[in-house]
Amino acid sequence: MRIALNAMLPLIVLSPFFLLPLVVRLGKQRAQWAALLALWPAVLAVYFGALMRQVGQAGPVQASLGWAASLGLELSFYADGLSLLFALLISGVGSLIVLFSSRYFDQDPRAGRFQAILFAFMGSMLGLVLADNLLALVAFWELTGFTSYLLIGFEHERAEARSAALQALIVTGAGGMALLAAGVLIGQAAGSFNLSALLARGVRLEDAASYPFVAVLVLLAAFTKSAQTPFHFWLPNAMTAPTPVSAYLHSATMVKAGLYLVARMTPLVGETPLWNGLVTAVGAITMAIGAWRSVAETDLKRVLAYSTVSALGLIMMLLGVGTEAAVAGALVYLSAHAGYKGGLFLVAGTLEHEVGTRNVTELSGLRRSMPVLAVAGLLAACSMAGIPLFLGFTGKELLYDSLLGAGGGWGPLLLLAAVGASALMGAAAFIAGWSPFAGSGGPAPEHKVPAALAAPPLIMAAAGLAAGIWPGAIDGVIGLAVSGVLGDAPPVRLSLWHGLTPVLGLSLLTLALVAVLFRWRIGVRRRIEPLRMDFERGYTLALRGLDALSAWSLRALQGGSLRAYVLVLIMIVGGLVLTVLISQGLPGFPDVMDVQPQEAAAALLIVGGAISAARSKSIITAVLSLGLTGYGVGLTFLLFGAPDLAMTQFSVETLTAVIFVLVFYHHRSVGPMSTWPIRLRDSLMAVLFGGSIAAVLLFVGAADTPLRLSGYFAENALPLAHGRNIVNVILVDFRALDTMGEITVLSTAALGVFAVLRLGRDMKS
Amino acid sequence: MPGNSLPAAVELVRFLPETILVLLGTLIMVLEAVTGDRPKTFLGHLAAAGLGLAACAAVYAHSSPGEAFSGMLVVDGFTTFFRLLVYAVGILTVLSSCQFLTRERANTGEFYALVVFSVAGQSVMVASHELIMIFIGLEISSIATYVLAGFLRDDPRATESAVKYFLLGSFATAFVLYGIAWIYGATGSTELTAIRAAVDTQAGREGAMLAAVAAALMFVGLGFKVSGAPFQMWAPDVYQGAPSPVSAFLSAGPKAAAFAVFLRVFETAFGSIGPLWEPLFWISALLSMTIGNFAALVQGNVKRMLAYSSIAHAGYILVALTARSEVGTAAVMFYLAAYALMNVGAFALLGHLTRKGERFQKVEDLAGLGSAQPLAAALFSIFLLSLIGVPLTAGFFGKFYIFKAALDSGLVWLTVLGLLNSAVGAYYYLRVLVVMYMREASEEVPPVEALSGGLRAALLACSAGTLALGIFPGPVLDFVNRSATLIR
Repeated sequence: MRIALNAMLPLIVLSPFFLLPLVVRLGKQRAQWAALLALWPAVLAVYFGALMRQVGQAGPVQASLGWAASLGLELSFYADGLSLLFALLISGVGSLIVLFSSRYFDQDPRAGRFQAILFAFMGSMLGLVLADNLLALVAFWELTGFTSYLLIGFEHERAEARSAALQALIVTGAGGMALLAAGVLIGQAAGSFNLSALLARGVRLEDAASYPFVAVLVLLAAFTKSAQTPFHFWLPNAMTAPTPVSAYLHSATMVKAGLYLVARMTPLVGETPLWNGLVTAVGAITMAIGAWRSVAETDLKRVLAYSTVSALGLIMMLLGVGTEAAVAGALVYLSAHAGYKGGLFLVAGTLEHEVGTRNVTELSGLRRSMPVLAVAGLLAACSMAGIPLFLGFTGKELLYDSLLGAGGGWGPLLLLAAVGASALMGAAAFIAGWSPFAGSGGPAPEHKVPAALAAPPLIMAAAGLAAGIWPGAIDGVIGLAVSGVLGDAPPVRLSLWHGLTPVLGLSLLTLALVAVLFRWRIGVRRRIEPLRMDFERGYTLALRGLDALSAWSLRALQGGSLRAYVLVLIMIVGGLVLTVLISQGLPGFPDVMDVQPQEAAAALLIVGGAISAARSKSIITAVLSLGLTGYGVGLTFLLFGAPDLAMTQFSVETLTAVIFVLVFYHHRSVGPMSTWPIRLRDSLMAVLFGGSIAAVLLFVGAADTPLRLSGYFAENALPLAHGRNIVNVILVDFRALDTMGEITVLSTAALGVFAVLRLGRDMKS
Repeated sequence: MPGNSLPAAVELVRFLPETILVLLGTLIMVLEAVTGDRPKTFLGHLAAAGLGLAACAAVYAHSSPGEAFSGMLVVDGFTTFFRLLVYAVGILTVLSSCQFLTRERANTGEFYALVVFSVAGQSVMVASHELIMIFIGLEISSIATYVLAGFLRDDPRATESAVKYFLLGSFATAFVLYGIAWIYGATGSTELTAIRAAVDTQAGREGAMLAAVAAALMFVGLGFKVSGAPFQMWAPDVYQGAPSPVSAFLSAGPKAAAFAVFLRVFETAFGSIGPLWEPLFWISALLSMTIGNFAALVQGNVKRMLAYSSIAHAGYILVALTARSEVGTAAVMFYLAAYALMNVGAFALLGHLTRKGERFQKVEDLAGLGSAQPLAAALFSIFLLSLIGVPLTAGFFGKFYIFKAALDSGLVWLTVLGLLNSAVGAYYYLRVLVVMYMREASEEVPPVEALSGGLRAALLACSAGTLALGIFPGPVLDFVNRSATLIR
């Protein structure tokens, strides 16, 4: 049995992907059939529960699928207490969400697609928390971001849905890239990409040269994914997604991936002042800002979104504090949050589905028409506010307890912030979970809430109560998860009653504050509402800047102008050659004084021709001037003993000039093509390019080259080719193929001239 | 100077594939002239069959490896791999252009002859072990492609792209030739191993400097041919303007051959002055990836997006070149094979959809294609997923192998930046997928004619190859690992 569970792990993790074709089909059917889909995540939850029991007895498991042996590539998964806690939440909550969605999207033609993306997300999320290889973790991380993009933008006809989806993708995607870079750096510094190997060996990167980069990059990924300040703005905007998505991705699972990452990486890169300081500070600030905004909103989902931001910050802060109590508190809080927040979101979604609004100021008195939903909302709100007997209370006790004992000089400040944030979140809990059902009046639903909509939130909320009353049910799981973060930690004992401690006093104080804030919630909202900070501004500015930059650089680099392209090409060649010259050190300047008059004449011809070609306003003159340059080159060949080359050069130059003249006969003059600054720039470039090539040439002259071909020809002309005239022998024997090629070139050119002449005559006639 | 001996029979066998191709091209030209004015699809089939025959000849030549013509050519695993690769690209191009050309009323034999000649040039390039032969191959290949780019003479865009390609390409080949002249001046040889020996023993500083200048010049020329930054400017204009089957060909065949030359020349001839040119490759790889991906990110036109992305892919391959190891060489080879399959497929399919660019030009135009044209959308998805590098496709192993090679050589930062780049790249490919499958068409999707036999065969071959290399890469991986033994 044990072996079987291990070996099944890869297939189990990937199973949601394998099932996609079936999910699309079944998801399209009527709700009672589509609801069957919820069975598979439930099976997964049972599997992970069984595996958790096994891990508790025999330690973490690792299982892999071999693939490309010659690359040493395999897909491996690693399960310890920490990853299994997340896997349990993902599959357990996932089952309820799939059940809820089957009814939420009943009779909707897009239902199959929705369920399929939901399953793809579930598979990605399981892969993320169970991946063994760091790079596989990154790949699954990005996949969760991409499926989240599809789900936020599910109602793509709405512009705000599209822009919110893109925003979430860009913010979390950028974090994902940071994680990718961190992953490569970790693998390189530690010598392995496999978490199982790194954790088993107890590798720590603290002393690696790249450590500060690694830590900051990992945290950047975690902060963007888990909506920490200043990146938290994407989460409230993502609330435009269908409610099951908000409940599942943006409260219970995906946004916790950042927390998982921080916990997972703690043994490797954590437990340093940089790491703990950053995590604690950012978490605390996020907690405060989120809680503050949560009571200012009137849209139910935005209230819940900001309180989620706050809770994520709180858990992050606890992970930063990093003591055993703090980590245990973080994980208990995280589990409690998944239950009550998922439940509250589903309540909000059902209200919108049945009543048509999620504005808290318009909703009231619904407890009579929706009693089951009211119970679910109330239970979830109690857990969130930390009322005794609920799991939320247990989490809060651990929070206060760990802050009282730790945090150094900042401890009291953190404690104060935690109490304040908890009080605000408690008020938000009742605003979202109870105020729609309290009081009287308000809109009335058209019919009874279907069981498939009411049951999932009720189950989630009730789970919080059950776990609160009987903490022994989960403390084994939490203990295993804590030891996944901190190594072998002593077993965690959760209990309902700790005695009359300062912590209990703080809890009671918090509850009193909650009562006050909730009683006067309308006044509080009116005071807080105008006080907002625009964190989105940075994002908008950065995007706009990037757009402008890419537009500008595309225009500059890729304007389509041939002239600019040639200019770049020439600049680079000139620059490269100069760089080589300078970096290699300039050899002694060669002696250039013994120039013969005829050589100087050839040089003058070349230079004069080139200058005249560049300056001339008539195409014909330009072509003829270029011809002069060519003749000058031919003359050089002649002077330095290559008569065959010179002959070819002369004929090719002549033919080219003739063809050019014939072709351009009707376009004799050109106007000025550019302004003087451009001409100046071009001539500077020409001088740079010509100068660098000339400089190299001069140094070549100084270098002693091993080439002495002429001797070979002189020696072998008679014995090998039986000819005394060396030039003839070279032309018709040693270089017979060259000569044939030259003849071919000349005949082809002549054919071209003939064709042009014929064309001219035909056009005339 | 070697003696005047006639080549042995085995040397002719080693040169057999190129011989077949040149004869084939000539035969097609003659047949074109004598068969009148009808569409020349049958010449396309002849060209495909002839390229297949050349591939058989290459396999046959592989059974007797060694040098030919005084060491100017060499037949080894490296040569055979690249020969087969460029022939495959040729066959796929020919098969996928018949229908396109008929529709554009340009189905003449010249097109097929030019493709065959260009492939012959590439074949010479990859088999040469000597700079002049390499240059001749480069010119044969390039001149044919200049004409191909402007093959639709009535299309001003195509003509503009052909002229640009011709002028800039001439500059680039001139630089290659200039580099060859330098290296001959510095070492007295154009044969790669002899150059290496001369560079190794170069006592004076001048000699080393000359070799460095030559390397720089050849780097510019070859960098242009593989469309690596900063010599990439021509690529988007040309790929967008040229007929789609030609863009497919340009982005796969000449590029593969130029990379083969890059490896041979720089590893064998300039291996010992590696520290001098490694930074060039490093910078060029990074620039290519970054410019290609970020420019592709903002493109609305699908063809231009693919053009920019091909620059990015050249950048990934340059990363493997920078690694300078046998693993790196093997990674280059594998990636080029994967890239040829997926990119030829993507361009050919896009050409079928867009015709000469009158429809399906913008990413948004593809909305609803998933339900309107299930087969085309499914094939396009396979190619795009492979271009992203999603597991189970060829592109995944290609990227994995490249970055593994880079890491093994200690290029940590280049790997990091390269991986970030490929993550950026994923977004613009995914955008196309999302639009195809997740959006409904705003208006009626124009009907697309059925895939003809040749195009269908080419596309299925590309997609099957992409998946096969992604699921069972073993045989090809083993072959490239065995063949990646350049003379160092």
